[in-house]
Amino acid sequence: MKLATTKKEQTKIKERSKKADEKQKNILEMLKSHGAKIYDDLDNGQFPKFSIPSRSVSNIVFDKKLRQYILGTNAAVRSSRNSAQLRSFTQLMWLAFFANRLTQERKSSTLRDIYYSSQAFAIEFEDQSESDNIIVDLEAITSKPREDFHIFPEERSSIFGDLTIEYTIPGYEGKKMNLSNHPDGYSIGPSLTTAELVDTSAEIVIAIEKGGLFTRFVEEQVDKKFKSIIINTGGQAPRSTRTLLKRLHEEMNLPVIVLTDGDVYGEHIAMVIKSGSANAAHLRDLTVPDAKWVGVWATDIEKYKLPTIPMTESDIKRCYDLQKDPRYQDGVWKKELDVFLRLKRKAELEAFSKYGLTNITDKYLPQKLELAKSL
Amino acid sequence: MSSIKEQFNQISPSEFFYSNRDLAGFSNPTRSLYTAVREFVENALDACDQKGILPDVHLIITAVDPDKPDPKPYILTVKDNGPGIDAEHIPLAFGTVLYGSKFGLKQARGMFGLGATMAILYGQITTNKPVTVKSSVDGVTQDVFELLLDIQKNKPIIVKHTTKEVSKKGLSVSICLEGDYSKAGTKIRDYVYETSLITPYASITFDDPKEQRFSHPRFVKEIPPPPTIIRPHPHGIDVERIRRMIVESQFEIPIIDDAMIEKVRKDLGLSVKNLSFTVIMEKAKKKWKTLPRQVRVVISLMSFLKMDFEKLNKIRIEDIDIPNKKLYYWDFGDSQSKSVDMDPESQYYKQLTNTVQGEPLTTFLTKRFQRIGPTTAVKFAEYAGFKPEKRMGTLSNQELVNLSDALQKFEDFMAPDSTCLAPLGADPLEKGIKKFFNPDFSAVVQRPASAYSGFPFIVEMGIAYGGDIKSGGPHVYRYANRIPLLYDEGSDVVLKVVNETDWGRYKVKGEPPFIIVSHICSTRIPYKTAGKENVADRPEIERELRLALQLLSRKLAAYMSKRGQADMAKKRSNLYAKYIPLIAEFCTELAGKKKEPNYKKILEKNVIESKQTVEEENEIGNN
Repeated sequence: MKLATTKKEQTKIKERSKKADEKQKNILEMLKSHGAKIYDDLDNGQFPKFSIPSRSVSNIVFDKKLRQYILGTNAAVRSSRNSAQLRSFTQLMWLAFFANRLTQERKSSTLRDIYYSSQAFAIEFEDQSESDNIIVDLEAITSKPREDFHIFPEERSSIFGDLTIEYTIPGYEGKKMNLSNHPDGYSIGPSLTTAELVDTSAEIVIAIEKGGLFTRFVEEQVDKKFKSIIINTGGQAPRSTRTLLKRLHEEMNLPVIVLTDGDVYGEHIAMVIKSGSANAAHLRDLTVPDAKWVGVWATDIEKYKLPTIPMTESDIKRCYDLQKDPRYQDGVWKKELDVFLRLKRKAELEAFSKYGLTNITDKYLPQKLELAKSL
Repeated sequence: MSSIKEQFNQISPSEFFYSNRDLAGFSNPTRSLYTAVREFVENALDACDQKGILPDVHLIITAVDPDKPDPKPYILTVKDNGPGIDAEHIPLAFGTVLYGSKFGLKQARGMFGLGATMAILYGQITTNKPVTVKSSVDGVTQDVFELLLDIQKNKPIIVKHTTKEVSKKGLSVSICLEGDYSKAGTKIRDYVYETSLITPYASITFDDPKEQRFSHPRFVKEIPPPPTIIRPHPHGIDVERIRRMIVESQFEIPIIDDAMIEKVRKDLGLSVKNLSFTVIMEKAKKKWKTLPRQVRVVISLMSFLKMDFEKLNKIRIEDIDIPNKKLYYWDFGDSQSKSVDMDPESQYYKQLTNTVQGEPLTTFLTKRFQRIGPTTAVKFAEYAGFKPEKRMGTLSNQELVNLSDALQKFEDFMAPDSTCLAPLGADPLEKGIKKFFNPDFSAVVQRPASAYSGFPFIVEMGIAYGGDIKSGGPHVYRYANRIPLLYDEGSDVVLKVVNETDWGRYKVKGEPPFIIVSHICSTRIPYKTAGKENVADRPEIERELRLALQLLSRKLAAYMSKRGQADMAKKRSNLYAKYIPLIAEFCTELAGKKKEPNYKKILEKNVIESKQTVEEENEIGNN
């Protein structure tokens, strides 16, 4: 692939890097203003404090307009005067300080990195879950996902298809890449998440729950046959993947369909891509409200006579729990949930192998793609 | 048919205790060695207390043959600097059971000096060695006795008696007995240690068989005020006690011989002149108040006989018939029995009635009991259904029982006099606690005197926390009449009260470094066993213990909460000192500044606050 050389394209590149700079500048400005406020408090002999939106269950509400869970108006004050909060206050300050360095230097780190990096500054976290929690605090205060501060989770999902991107991370600025050159797919990490989406010939994004099926889809050239970008979510889609899905949908105008196992957890994987999770209720911009779940539906189990396995008790309990969720009160979501409960059986994506290894791509997928247009 | 004739033999007290030595704490070599130590040390301390001498007690235990395995014979010696015992009393005091000087009603460690003789008896039966007693009452000569006990006759056998010159007063008793120091050692050392806590005015030295010396010098120079001997309280009386008191209150008609007449003359100041009957009576009337009882009786008799001293010499009184108001006498001159009438209105008639029939009930009560005045006596007589002037000598057996019952039940008597008690006192107790435990907090209380069943008692208690005290508390140090109680703690009333306390309420949690010292003083401690190791749970005593403990626990709670606050403040201040500089460091870079903010203001403010709390804590600790 040739690097862009035309004038028009050069302007585009400038615009894109300007956009990335802008974003970074905003983040840094915001961190600076928080820091300045605390600096002034200390200088004036005041115990610094700030307000954190409450993430307790009672403060998580479903916003119908946004079609996702959001935090309510309850907030808690975290004060450095309170000796019970002093430690977590300092941890949070350190995290902001550290995120500021990461952002300035455009370096990425993982959740685990954060846990270990803290030890260089005499900030002790008892375990990673404590440091993870502080990271969520920072997200809640700034309403920005941790990825904006260059902090990424371990979990990786992957992408494959005709999509040209342009890196913005240091050392690769301006470098372009087409994501159909490597059949194992490209892992969705910091560099991909922050890259500019330049061009694509695809007309749809297919998010699939399982790595095995992802490989099958690549082998069967689903990307070419159906003009699609294939994304392996690796179970519940990580945030970076959800961010990328959203960007593909909004920036490239691609519809997103989701293909999961035929059980209640699969149904919910699709729902999280569509409308987010309660865990991330403090964040926006992680959802693709127009994403469509196309299968495997409970009704598909009967329709395609798929081999099934019985639901476990926790599967059934999960069904009842989701019946109370406001997002499962109508449409395909409610209907399929009810059928799952009636069948008390589930089927995996691999179940189609009963009819031959390529049955799912040859028969099932085309039918579903057709169906998706009417959903 | 021949019947087996049962043999009834009287046994001596020695024999009785010989066969029942378990009762007195001589059940096995371990316990016996410990009990013997206690008995001699307590006798030494009692002897010094009685004479107001600051005690120096030296306890020495040596093994006769150190290489033999336990149990084996030991020589136990206790020396004191007390008043000593007169040589003439030594054989009886140490060679008889139930001979002693401690029979009065006042607080002492031992009641009858019984235990020491028991220890001697035990030593004799296990090793067949005599007891050696060295005593000096004048600090110049010392009598040295070697004694054995004749168990069947309850009599001492003097093996050897010598004297030698010394420079110090005091008593030393040395016995040889079968013991087990390897097992008893801990208890004996604990005993010596705990005794020195409750006897801070005594120096106690203990040389053990392994040639280790445990010294507990005195740290208080004043002896607490000694107890006084008092009359019994009516609530603590029984029929037998009343019977004995009545016998004491009646008097023999004096034998009127030359010596008696001479005494009467002398007391009237008429020794030289030989005066007429009328003059004698006039003189007697004037001096009546100063005359002793015997003289009054003689005068009273003379008043009815209408005789002077010369005539009196020639008769013998035969009977004084109070109900028939007649006086019978034998006239040596006429060699016949004669009688005169007595005028019941005469004061002399009353005097004779007292002598023959005993005192009236009200007089008996007011004179022989504590806490009964004339008014109370009359009220009581009415309550008990006796005439106030009822003569004690005329009570039938049933009336005696009724009187005894009524005395115990009548509720208007004042609480027993507590001057017979000798508590240690709050100050010496607290001094002791501070010296022994070096605590962060201590408090003591002496409850007012109270009584159970007519026996007065006082509860003293101390509580201490922190310092040198080991955790795992509360550890309870129990004392009764200045004796530490070490055995059988399970069934003791003090522990019952301590264990029933919810310490969480007083902010004492976990396994605190915490001790309680409890001292019960009484003329009679209600021990559960003769071994004097645990106190029975009389409701009155339990109540006083509970009140004392509650008061101290509240003080402890106040201290604990201050301590908690101070700890918190200290902790908080440490936290600030640790974290605020970090916050300053991070926000400086975050805000893009070069110089760190001046956060010292916050820290200083906080340090002052926490310092104040710590000072308050110390104040409490010193009180």
